[in-house]
Amino acid sequence: MKYFIIYSMKQIYSFYLFLGLFLIPNVSYSQGFQVNFQGQKQQAMGCAGTALQTDGASLFFNPGASAFVKENSVNIATTPIFANVMYVDSATNDVYRTENPVGTPFSAYGLFQLKEDGKLKLGIAAYTPFGSTVQWEKNWIGRFAITRLELKAIFIQPTISYRISDKIGVGAGFVYSTGNVNLQKDIPVQFEDGSFAKAELAGKAQGFGYNLGVQINATDKLGIGLNFRSKVQMNLNDGEATFTVPSGLDPNFPDGKFVGGLPLPQVTTLGLSYKLNDKWAFVLDINHVAWKAYDTLAFDYELNTASLLDTKSPRNYKNIVAFRTGASYKVMKNLEVRFGGGYGLTPVQDGYVTPETPDGNRAYGTFGLGYELGKHFAIDASCYYTQITRADINQETNLSGTFTTKAIAAGIGFIYKW
Amino acid sequence: MTKNILSIFTLSLLVVLTACKPKYEATTPVQGEMNPTRFVMIGSGHAGGYMDDALTYEGQTNSVANIIAEQLKTIGSGAFNQPYVSQSSMGVSLFGLSPFKLGYKTDCKNVTSLSPVRIAASGDLAVFNSNIYTASNKFGNFGIPGMKLLDVSNTAFANVNPFFNRMTSSTVASVLDNVMGVNPTFFSIFLGIEDVMDYAKSGGKNNNLPSTATFEIAYNNLVQVLTANGAKGVVATIPDVTKMPYFTTIPWNGLNLDSASNETLNNIYNPLNFFFEIGSNPFMIEDPAANDFGVRQILEGELLLLSVPLDSVKCNQMGVLFPLRTEFILTLAEISTLKNQIAAYNTIIKTIATQNNLALVETDKFAENLKDGFIYNGITMSAKFVSGGAYSLDGIHYNSKGNALLANEFIKAINKKYKSTIHQVNAGNYGATLFP
Repeated sequence: MKYFIIYSMKQIYSFYLFLGLFLIPNVSYSQGFQVNFQGQKQQAMGCAGTALQTDGASLFFNPGASAFVKENSVNIATTPIFANVMYVDSATNDVYRTENPVGTPFSAYGLFQLKEDGKLKLGIAAYTPFGSTVQWEKNWIGRFAITRLELKAIFIQPTISYRISDKIGVGAGFVYSTGNVNLQKDIPVQFEDGSFAKAELAGKAQGFGYNLGVQINATDKLGIGLNFRSKVQMNLNDGEATFTVPSGLDPNFPDGKFVGGLPLPQVTTLGLSYKLNDKWAFVLDINHVAWKAYDTLAFDYELNTASLLDTKSPRNYKNIVAFRTGASYKVMKNLEVRFGGGYGLTPVQDGYVTPETPDGNRAYGTFGLGYELGKHFAIDASCYYTQITRADINQETNLSGTFTTKAIAAGIGFIYKW
Repeated sequence: MTKNILSIFTLSLLVVLTACKPKYEATTPVQGEMNPTRFVMIGSGHAGGYMDDALTYEGQTNSVANIIAEQLKTIGSGAFNQPYVSQSSMGVSLFGLSPFKLGYKTDCKNVTSLSPVRIAASGDLAVFNSNIYTASNKFGNFGIPGMKLLDVSNTAFANVNPFFNRMTSSTVASVLDNVMGVNPTFFSIFLGIEDVMDYAKSGGKNNNLPSTATFEIAYNNLVQVLTANGAKGVVATIPDVTKMPYFTTIPWNGLNLDSASNETLNNIYNPLNFFFEIGSNPFMIEDPAANDFGVRQILEGELLLLSVPLDSVKCNQMGVLFPLRTEFILTLAEISTLKNQIAAYNTIIKTIATQNNLALVETDKFAENLKDGFIYNGITMSAKFVSGGAYSLDGIHYNSKGNALLANEFIKAINKKYKSTIHQVNAGNYGATLFP
């Protein structure tokens, strides 16, 4: 029987997983999965800070700026994300929500100099820009598109920074990325008890990239940072596809391997920092994200049947820009308050909004504090809030409705320097 | 100090977290320019929940009539009573048979495969034994399996149709008498399929398609009676029945020949000018007009019915040495007759809808969309047998999911015509064929 050419099969899997993870959790971070959430100071100032030269987080934001950090430092931070997505179906007016567990991404930086005030700095960075779980409520209307998406990814980045002069620093990091993906959805065929069949795709993915930065301290007050983070092509070569289907359909849905991939786009950032006086400082970042790389989501199953075909789903993302800005104010010698905000365009065009990526143009606000305990120890905290509303009719699934996302990310970080 | 900072931070975090869940602002559906208080639906098994060739409790629960009625309740419609068969009953077909389910069947070649099978030797005939009419809870679902438009005013219909017989207020009352007993304020008509189905299912043998004039008079009369008290309503056109899986599942060129049988057949049929090749070939059918022998090859576009005895085809040369009888075939001419007639009826229905300011559901377009296939909230729907997800195992009636999709079409039509805002249902939650 040539049953069940399942379009729903067409949508998902590793890529999606990745993407979804990147996007949904990053609802709280910033646009798409461009992650500017890797430093508490930056997060508190509207996620801007490419031209900042304060601590190890610049290994991520701008390795060129790392060259200007004066001490050795070790820096760890975590940012729990609380994101809730609501979907209101346009035809039924039914409302469905995600049951997102709290995501807890972390970052850790070590920045070292071989001699005191040396020109050469060595750094190692580890961060989890993409790590979260999206779980839609039971029996939700989009269950045949996605029921659960889970991604854990760690980026590890050894870095070298060099201060060419008092005004110019450069840096370069190599990025190795490793991640786990798990994607689940219902298949619209029913067991004799009426329950629906299920598909689960799981696997590990790897990718490589690099992170380049230049920092130019034009004046004592004005810093200019340029950062280029390359595209990271995440490849999933050994995925496991598992199908829970009625026995009569076992031949149609053979468990087996699959191959997929997802491009994490290249990000180019121009950052400015300006120290007005001893108390006030301002930062501005302009990002360009080459999301156009995410053109198609493809899955290649090792075992194909009439029901289980390889799929290529158009995504047609577009390149975007985002503006982020913030300020810090020294309340007293060892206490700084920070605030900021930003606006980012969505890479997801009309007709391509999915439950994994209910993305839209977004504005967000942030605030935070920094407190120094003596010469060696500092604490930073930040909070980020955004709400996004996006109505769409997805061309592939015909899901027609409005996604509303509210997200808060509250982070805390500790620095030890010497 | 650190402690203070942390507690301020924690506090502000808690405040924000409570605000973190998006608010749902429910919209209340409005009835617009119609009065849904007492709703009735008049139709055949396609309205009444007949599926898998039987009327069952579950099918009735998921009938087009009941799905619409449930949604009308959200805008003030009252109780909607259905002539339910007992929940414990297996159900029964119009001819006393049990429902189909998908099961394993071993054919004459000893090959076992998934196939529609009857769940029992006989249906639950007790369904027909008692009349369940109660004057205090009059029925609203007049989707009566087998009912034609021309049956609606027939005062002897209870004697002919056991499903009507069990629900009528009196054995001499017509369906329309029963309907008017409810004094409906809003009605839905989905009639006409059965008027053409007899012709279609008999392969054009039962040449009893009503004339367009007869059809028009009957439809007009029905609408005049229903609207006499000012009731509003929704009427539905007739789908092209030849797009149903009953007529499209068996391929015209499903005769697969190996080299030996190819040679045998060519030896036999070449003198009659019929030629075969290795691989797929058209079946041989009866056609008295074709030649002196009254046989020919079936043409592309002609339809083989699901009533074809497949075992005879597989093992006893039916459709090969013994041509398929005309009752299993819709020829091009018959298809054309059928389509033209349906088109003519639909023109009448549309005109009457316009004249009487009624909402119109174009089920013919719905059936066409199904045939082309579409995606509903991630589910691929089509008119294919079993895998299409919309038709039940009889290949003619929709399953629960198909009913829900069609009910949504009615809701859309009502909303459009009467400026109401009745919500559709999530058809994805309605069942289709169950797999062992």
